[in-house]
Amino acid sequence: MANMIMASSKPLIPVCSIHSPSPKLPVLQISLPKISKPQILSLAPSTLKSLSLLAASSLAFAPPSLAVEIEKAALFDFNLTLPIIMAEFLLLMVALDKLYFTPLGSFMDQRDAAIREKLSSVKDTSSEVKQLEEQAAAVMKAARAEISAALNKMKKETQAEVEQKLAEGRKKVEAELQEALANLERQKEETIKSLDSQIANLSQEIVKKVLPTV
Amino acid sequence: MNVLLCSINTLKRLYDISAVEVGQHFYWQIGGFQVHAQVLITSWVVIAILLVSAILAVRNPQTIPTDSQNFFEYVLEFIRDVSKTQIGEEYGPWVPFIGTMFLFIFVSNWSGALLPWKIIQLPHGELAAPTNDINTTVALALLTSIAYFYAGLSKKGLGYFGKYIQPTPILLPINILEDFTKPLSLSFRLFGNILADELVVVVLVSLVPLVVPIPVMFLGLFTSGIQALIFATLAAAYIGESMEGHH
Repeated sequence: MANMIMASSKPLIPVCSIHSPSPKLPVLQISLPKISKPQILSLAPSTLKSLSLLAASSLAFAPPSLAVEIEKAALFDFNLTLPIIMAEFLLLMVALDKLYFTPLGSFMDQRDAAIREKLSSVKDTSSEVKQLEEQAAAVMKAARAEISAALNKMKKETQAEVEQKLAEGRKKVEAELQEALANLERQKEETIKSLDSQIANLSQEIVKKVLPTV
Repeated sequence: MNVLLCSINTLKRLYDISAVEVGQHFYWQIGGFQVHAQVLITSWVVIAILLVSAILAVRNPQTIPTDSQNFFEYVLEFIRDVSKTQIGEEYGPWVPFIGTMFLFIFVSNWSGALLPWKIIQLPHGELAAPTNDINTTVALALLTSIAYFYAGLSKKGLGYFGKYIQPTPILLPINILEDFTKPLSLSFRLFGNILADELVVVVLVSLVPLVVPIPVMFLGLFTSGIQALIFATLAAAYIGESMEGHH
């Protein structure tokens, strides 16, 4: 292809009148000798003439075997390859069907079915969930009752203890009060006794003082 | 004259290096018939790639797919999706045909762009994508034609040929012509695209060997994928068209 592009620029170069018989090329043949671009640019105009000669003569000197092969070149060359490819394709289809499409396809379908079944079975467990919820409620209820019973018992015990302690305290206080009262009474009596004796003395003195000359 | 001979030798060497071979084939003789050996060799490689990778990936399918299995499941779903959109609910039996068509063309095209075929020297011609040869594309297109005739005939019996005078008998010639244009357009579209793509790359490489051809190569990869998809989709569309009822 690149050669064709290169080749298409060839008429720009002045061709001198050397008639070299170039092989007749079939339409679809594209292989031509390549002249690289830098080479063209580096050539002086005087050498262009010999270059064109070269290009033409190189085609003329092309080995005969090459020419034969070029004659055979064809893009639209139908032959036994076509039915062979058909057979190969059909064999490949059967093989891939046995190895890939059918096994993996059925495996995927089975997995889909299994997943779908699991999903639907999950949806149907609402009764189970309800039962579990009831159980949970019962457990909660029992626990609450137990807790309140324990609380009540504890309250009673505490109250009894408190009352006992209160009673003890009251008794103690009363005893102390009694004692204190008894002490007071005794002191009072003592005081009264001592006062009685003093009263006698005092009354005698008063009498003496009032009645000195009696 | 000495200079002349020297130059001739140089030119011949250049010719050998830069010969772009179009329409050159490496022939084998099989029982008096000729075959294009380069096409057969590359198609065997493509088939081997497909079979080996499929065997490796699907050998032991896991419920939670591993990497390669995941990829192949994705490909299968893609093929099923294409077939289903084009053929309709009865796409099941056609998945192997459409899928093999897509995978074979796709791997062929990409092998032409990605595998360094040209390293292997042939006595004549050169290795390239199998779809680079008109024989391959015409074979695939003819198989598509057979497939849609088979689909229509097995679905509707001889009533299938009633479609030629639908919607009016005046269209009979055009309807018959369609059966020839379909494989023709399918094969030439694929052939032309792949050949042109490879030629553009070769020409650019021979002009500027560095960097410049790379975008064109990527474009070629893109085109190759698109062409495989187009071929498979159109094949499925033709099959679906011949199976659908004309009421």
